[in-house]
Amino acid sequence: MFDRRLLIGFGWSLFFMTIAFSCIALLNLYSASYQTGLASFKKQLAWVGIGILTMVLISFINYRLLKRYSLYIYGLSILLLIYVLFFGKEVSGSSSWIQIGSLGTIQPSEFIKIPLILALARFYDNDYQQGPYGFLDLIKPASLVALPLALVMMQPDLGTGLTIILISGSMVLFMGVRKRSVAFILIALLALSYPAWNFFLKPYQKDRIKTFLEPSRDPLDAGYNAIQSQIAVGSGRIVGKGFKAGSQSQLKFIPAQQTDFAFSVLAEEWGFLGGIFTLLLYFMIILWILDTSGRSRDKFSMLVSFGIAAMFFWHVLVNVGMVVGLLPVTGVPLLIFSYGGSSTLTAFIGIGVVLGIRMRKFSMSGEAIGLR
Amino acid sequence: MQNFKNRLVIVTVILGIAFLVLASRLWYLQVLKGDEFEEFSLDNRIRIQRVPAPRGRILDRFGRELVVNRPSFDVYALPDEIQEVEGLSVSLSGVLDLEPSVLGKKLNSAQKNSRFSPVLLAKDINRDQLAYIEARKSTLPGLIVEVNNLRKYPRGKLGASFLGYIGKVSEEELKKDPKINSNDLVGKSGIEKNWQSYLRGVDGYIQSVTDALGRGVDSNLFIKDLTNKKSVSGNDVILTIDIDIQSGAEEALGEEAGSIVVVDVNTGEVLALASNPTFNPEDFIKGIDSKTWSELINDKSYPLLNRSTQGVYAPGSVFKVVPVVAALKEGVINPDTLVNCPGYYKLGRNTFRCWKRGGHGLVNLRLAVVQSCDVYFYKLAEKLGIDRLSRYIKLFGFGSLTGIGIEERPGISPSREWKLKKFNKPWYQGETLVSAIGQGYVSVTPIQIAMMTAAVANGGAILKPNIVRKIKTREGETVVQNSAQVVGTIPLGEDKIALLQDALVGVVNDPGGTGRRARIEGYTVAGKTGTAQVVSLDYQSDRKKHGDHAWFMSYAPAEAPEIAVVVLVEHGGKGGAVAAPLAKQIIELYKKLQETRDLDDNV
Repeated sequence: MFDRRLLIGFGWSLFFMTIAFSCIALLNLYSASYQTGLASFKKQLAWVGIGILTMVLISFINYRLLKRYSLYIYGLSILLLIYVLFFGKEVSGSSSWIQIGSLGTIQPSEFIKIPLILALARFYDNDYQQGPYGFLDLIKPASLVALPLALVMMQPDLGTGLTIILISGSMVLFMGVRKRSVAFILIALLALSYPAWNFFLKPYQKDRIKTFLEPSRDPLDAGYNAIQSQIAVGSGRIVGKGFKAGSQSQLKFIPAQQTDFAFSVLAEEWGFLGGIFTLLLYFMIILWILDTSGRSRDKFSMLVSFGIAAMFFWHVLVNVGMVVGLLPVTGVPLLIFSYGGSSTLTAFIGIGVVLGIRMRKFSMSGEAIGLR
Repeated sequence: MQNFKNRLVIVTVILGIAFLVLASRLWYLQVLKGDEFEEFSLDNRIRIQRVPAPRGRILDRFGRELVVNRPSFDVYALPDEIQEVEGLSVSLSGVLDLEPSVLGKKLNSAQKNSRFSPVLLAKDINRDQLAYIEARKSTLPGLIVEVNNLRKYPRGKLGASFLGYIGKVSEEELKKDPKINSNDLVGKSGIEKNWQSYLRGVDGYIQSVTDALGRGVDSNLFIKDLTNKKSVSGNDVILTIDIDIQSGAEEALGEEAGSIVVVDVNTGEVLALASNPTFNPEDFIKGIDSKTWSELINDKSYPLLNRSTQGVYAPGSVFKVVPVVAALKEGVINPDTLVNCPGYYKLGRNTFRCWKRGGHGLVNLRLAVVQSCDVYFYKLAEKLGIDRLSRYIKLFGFGSLTGIGIEERPGISPSREWKLKKFNKPWYQGETLVSAIGQGYVSVTPIQIAMMTAAVANGGAILKPNIVRKIKTREGETVVQNSAQVVGTIPLGEDKIALLQDALVGVVNDPGGTGRRARIEGYTVAGKTGTAQVVSLDYQSDRKKHGDHAWFMSYAPAEAPEIAVVVLVEHGGKGGAVAAPLAKQIIELYKKLQETRDLDDNV
């Protein structure tokens, strides 16, 4: 029953790169939470443990099963999002959390990403259209995206909303869109951005964007985070200030240093060398996932891998871009690296799915065709 | 699928570009700008705590303390470290004399608003309160006691009018002196203000490591070399004032509004500078409250005015020294020529009265001075004319500042040009006559009269008065040393000055002299009385609004003059009756001090 090829095909390199990255993340979190009694470090340690276990378990699920049940998974996640809207626990202005025993809270908006990727992949896999998609063809996938996006924005969770747009946008673009439609969508977005800025965005969100454009505008309030983070990164210089010796982090000058700005701590304490090494590891993981996508023999697994690669890519770009002051401050975590159970678990699930696809790339046998 | 493989290649390129962008940004921040950001992160965490420098002391000529400092123990609460507001406010309210509810409110709002900056609970607590809090420090977490410096006046109100007071620094003062801190108390008047730059020290600082919330961090794990700077005390200002004479002068004035000035005739050093009414400098120690302040500035007796240097009065007959000098120099009279005083003097259609209605009969210069005959001076003034007279008024320093070293006013030295400029009117000859007897436009400060007296006494040297003798650092190094400074000379030969001096001796010692009440047996006092009619100026006390100002200028001993004493009693009446006895009191005190005490003024 058990195909030995599965074990041979297991993506050991992805697995070990993920483990290595998790170790760096935990080490960094140890330092970042050292002054506050290591509470977040301990919780994150548990979440990484659960994550690795989940990752391995998920890798053993045949991705074809995932495809079959993808709409159910998607629907279930949507229900969770609706639930959280009504019964969610409110933390700093958004009701995005559900209390789960002593492990703390989970954030369903993070978990929607994989189901959405699966649902989109299934849509394209079922679709036999050749060539780029037109505007009308995109209505169906667009509504798959719009439903969770609307629910997430209602919480409101700007960061997650942004990543949902970026991930699904990448997937849709990757599958091809007619040039005319791209232009049309861009014009529509531009037209929409005016009412969005004036009616939809909350004052603090506008503040963040304005502050990004001009950080010294408000150095004590909204710009404070961006400036302190850059001071931390810059003062780390080439080799860093050393483990647990970053003054910016240990003296709490870096805001949200265990979550969104965790990478600042790493860059301060391990310097340019540590930062580059970690970034390189992260991009290697993405590259490896893309490689898996390239070796896929069916559209679904190719697109799922691609979507997961996009997820990791946008998280690192938006998060590290924010840490180094290239992008505005948004609540987008660096997966696994930022303290947070939901995003960490989502990342491990994503890699689990990719591992599952990778080890079945040789088994494109009749069984697979039959399932199709 | 091949289609997608090509796209994946593009995606991989985008991935590589993204990595390069992030990596080069890290390179920029950490390698290119690293040192700059390192500076920023140092600034972030080093807190500079100020160590206030004690202000310099103000001492008398013998080094006796007039203004010093004392420590002030101020209680602060660190809202962050206070665990139980209620318990603390109850246990503190008793000892700090504050309502528990007031204290509780203060602490509660502090905990909400600025958890990490200390909140002042009580300033300048007494020894018992300090002992109580120090003893219970371990059971009262979050309380800190800071030591600051406050002014202390060991002699109370003595000399307040020239010592001055202190107050919160103003924007302007901050701009002028970058070494002042925005919360500092600085000199606002008198010595405290005019010698502020010497008195104020240079603050030091202690560097410490703090976290983002401003809390001190024990470990110096995050910083290698912290630097501290010791504060530098302000310099001590040693005055020319003699505390004994100063208190004698203030006692002599008593409740009367007025001024007594005592100077060393040979050096111009001011030995006493009394002015009454005055204020209590203690009220200003912690910054004055607005109620006391508005009382002080609205007080019609002008307690903040130093009458010795800022009070401007008609001098009356003490001024007659000036026309005497002018007349002798210009040769308009022969000292022996007799002038008949019928009690009035006619000039054109105007009649000018002598103070003695019945007249003095025939008087020569000496008799005119001794009996203060106005008619003699009217005649003299007519001959001199205003142009010559005003030259001598200016020569004695009237109408200009003496440069004593504290606030002063110039008074008025009238002249043709002055009147034209001020009133756009020509000078009338009658005005020359009243100027000669120290009335009309002439107005002077007591310190100016004192310097005129000193010049006559010392044989002709017009000196600059000094109130500051020297300035020394805390370590004893002399920074400033003031010495006698001659600013002019009475242009008369010794014999003519002797003539004037002899007349002044007569004022006090002759049977008919107006200043006989200043006479001391066996110690020759020379002087001149003055009774100035009042054109009430608004700062002169309301009490006896229309009474004459009583003046007496004197010096002693006449044979070898040492001190000059000038007394002014506002609305006191006759100079000879009211002011002369006070001068006598001071001269007797001086004489006694010279004979009995053994103090070294070489401090």
